[in-house]
Amino acid sequence: MVKLEFEHRQAGHCESGVTRNLLNYHGFRITEPMAFGIGAGLFFSYLPFLKMQHAPTTSFRVWPGQVFDRATKELGVKAAIHTFRNPKDSMDKLNEVLEQGYPVGLQVGTFHLPFFPPEYRMHYNMHNMIVYGHNNGTYFISDTLMENLVEITYEDLVRVRYAKGAFAPQGRMYYPTFVPKDIDIRPAVIKGIRKTANNMVGIPFPLIGAKGIRYLAGRMRKWEKNLGPEKASYYLGQVLRMEEEVGTAGAGFRFIYGAFLEEASTLLNQPWLRELSIEMGDNANKWREFSYLGSRNCKKRGKPEQSYDFLADMLLEIANREEKIFKKLALIK
Amino acid sequence: MEENTNPVYKDKAYGQYRELSYSYEDGGQFQKTVGFHGEADRVILQQAWDLFHERIEEARQRVISGKVSPVVYYMEKNLLDPLNLSMMAGIAVWRVKWHFRPGVFKRLSESTLQKYAAAFNITIDQLKKVE
Repeated sequence: MVKLEFEHRQAGHCESGVTRNLLNYHGFRITEPMAFGIGAGLFFSYLPFLKMQHAPTTSFRVWPGQVFDRATKELGVKAAIHTFRNPKDSMDKLNEVLEQGYPVGLQVGTFHLPFFPPEYRMHYNMHNMIVYGHNNGTYFISDTLMENLVEITYEDLVRVRYAKGAFAPQGRMYYPTFVPKDIDIRPAVIKGIRKTANNMVGIPFPLIGAKGIRYLAGRMRKWEKNLGPEKASYYLGQVLRMEEEVGTAGAGFRFIYGAFLEEASTLLNQPWLRELSIEMGDNANKWREFSYLGSRNCKKRGKPEQSYDFLADMLLEIANREEKIFKKLALIK
Repeated sequence: MEENTNPVYKDKAYGQYRELSYSYEDGGQFQKTVGFHGEADRVILQQAWDLFHERIEEARQRVISGKVSPVVYYMEKNLLDPLNLSMMAGIAVWRVKWHFRPGVFKRLSESTLQKYAAAFNITIDQLKKVE
């Protein structure tokens, strides 16, 4: 029987929320946008060859696990990360770490997660949550998506930790072991911004970053002709689901990132970041508008101004804006 | 995309949870709000589930009429595609596709059937027929 005094706070994005809550537990106060920004979570990639739920994968975030890894590394926090082959070993290790007094972050699959909202129960193996105690085969969970604390049984926990398929979690668990007393977060913020800017505009590959948004726009124009109206509308729906639904806190993390830039500008005392955060906010609202019009299209109420060409033009405008913003951010000192 | 009223999905179990999201107003501040799904969220989530249910029903009909094996039905029911099913059951993709044929499925060994049953979390008897 272990039950740690854990403060549960809801968050927009599962992994940065988990990072923040774990660091909070060790007495280091940080906001969710800050954890997300330092972890360089913002990204864009469109992978037409990798199908997810029968449509191409669009991702607005970096590889799962990177936000926690990067954030702890940049802040000088020591963290332990384990994966296991044998489920029994992983559960024993989990119990052992809990008994030492550390809450643990877990990567899990959502399909068999019993407390998860039913509309999200698809095969998605990149969800994160925190275990903060156990009692007689029942584990106490703090899931940042949910408003309240929840519980899960031993069998269910094993099943979600060993969900199979793409990005299988393999029982991945992580927790900070040592948090230094005085952390200067400014260099970490600068590094995080530089990394994100590089991811978005610095990589010469057409499917990712601002270039990826343009590529998606080009593909979108051809969907209706090549795939027929039904499938085209489903493909569009998939982009919107990735943008709005899978724990992005809205507009594919652009709101969160804007909030991060706003906070960074006061922290670093660099007013030009505040201007960029305003631009980022406008850009996020543009994404929001895109998803609103797109969803009207999905509902087959499509008027000419909601056609695929119109949406693609909108994406091109967004790509130009993001390129401008991140090219400026790349010059941060 | 927040509304304070609880949205109505076709399926009543959906949309019962309040989530946190961020927003921004022109020239203002970034804000956090906790609320239910808005109209646009509902449309795109319902679209996905409509497609899944449609595919499951279609697969069921094709199994009953003897065109494909029950593996297809259970694959669709678990929202999988051949690639993901292959990873879950530990059987190569081309073999999974081969097992979609009813004649091939009938001759499968006990151990292969067990792999599928474990992936779908059902018994072998259940695997051999559709509801």
